[in-house]
Amino acid sequence: MRSNRRVKDILHELGIIPETVLVIAGDALITLDHVVREDETIELRPVMSGGAGREV
Amino acid sequence: MKCKKCGAGAVIELRRHNTAFCALDFLAFFRNQVREAVRHYRMLAREEQVLVAVSGGKDSLALWDVLIGEGYATTGLYLDLGIFEYSEESKAKCRAFADGRGVPLLVSAVADEVGAPVPVIKEVTRRPPCSGCGLSKRYLLNRVALEGGFPVVATGHNLDDEAATLFGSVMHWQMESLPRQSPALPASHPKLVRRVKPLYRLSEQETAAYAFLRKIDYIVDECPFAKGATSIAHKEILNRMEAASPGAKHSFLFGFLDRARGAFARTEDITLNECARCGQVTTGTLCAFCRLADQVKRSAKTLDPRA
Repeated sequence: MRSNRRVKDILHELGIIPETVLVIAGDALITLDHVVREDETIELRPVMSGGAGREV
Repeated sequence: MKCKKCGAGAVIELRRHNTAFCALDFLAFFRNQVREAVRHYRMLAREEQVLVAVSGGKDSLALWDVLIGEGYATTGLYLDLGIFEYSEESKAKCRAFADGRGVPLLVSAVADEVGAPVPVIKEVTRRPPCSGCGLSKRYLLNRVALEGGFPVVATGHNLDDEAATLFGSVMHWQMESLPRQSPALPASHPKLVRRVKPLYRLSEQETAAYAFLRKIDYIVDECPFAKGATSIAHKEILNRMEAASPGAKHSFLFGFLDRARGAFARTEDITLNECARCGQVTTGTLCAFCRLADQVKRSAKTLDPRA
């Protein structure tokens, strides 16, 4: 991470639609306005599922 | 960002509702949405035994968690598709969930019923894997419910699932599918069990957030066969529309359910028969599941004449 940046800007840069992931820092969910510190690690966990499981 | 309800720090923003919630208020919102779904469509009665179809994923386990919390008498049903480590891991998640809450879990293996697991069915039918898998799931869910005396099956379909299915049906004008799309399907035959989708008001992100906040250990990886599935492509399109216009998926689905679905109602009743072999409901003589089992059997003989 180059510098402190908002989650919203990180997702935008990665081309990820905010509604398609959970953004997790440690054991907490964080919102788009959260500023991620240079030394902080966040997890982007996809929420999409599909296939026949959806057709039951 | 602050919780719109209590002013504490928010953990999730729901743009389509123009709101944000802290963890506690989000969990309350989520449960309220399920209650409203159940109330609106009269999905469940208090005294009923509910069979919850669980896959080990976020949606079905979140649904099971809410229904247990609401005091319903539930039993889980895991259908083992035989998809290598994916099935093993997802079954273990379901078992751990059930054991942790002291609720019963039934397991039915597709391989025992059809004669082969989903990866083999895929090869035999030469059709997309989701095709044979979906067919087996629909059949087995109904049969297990019927045999176990459950009047209703609850599935974890969410708003994104329902919007994507509707999108697919409209794209191809599948006139037979449109009237069937509903959060609650009645038992239209004595051998068809009622089916309900109590999460239809909640988005995929919301069910994931609920599962995370409730510390539910669910399988995050998607089914290896779902890659390239049409339903995923439709979800991606709808997500782009949602990003440009929050609430687009909700309007699409709820507009259909509230205003358009009636226009697609069947004018003629379809005759439902009982399958000559298994007795389950079909529009023909032999049901699609028995035909699939026959196909698997024939193919096994071709590969191994002793089979």
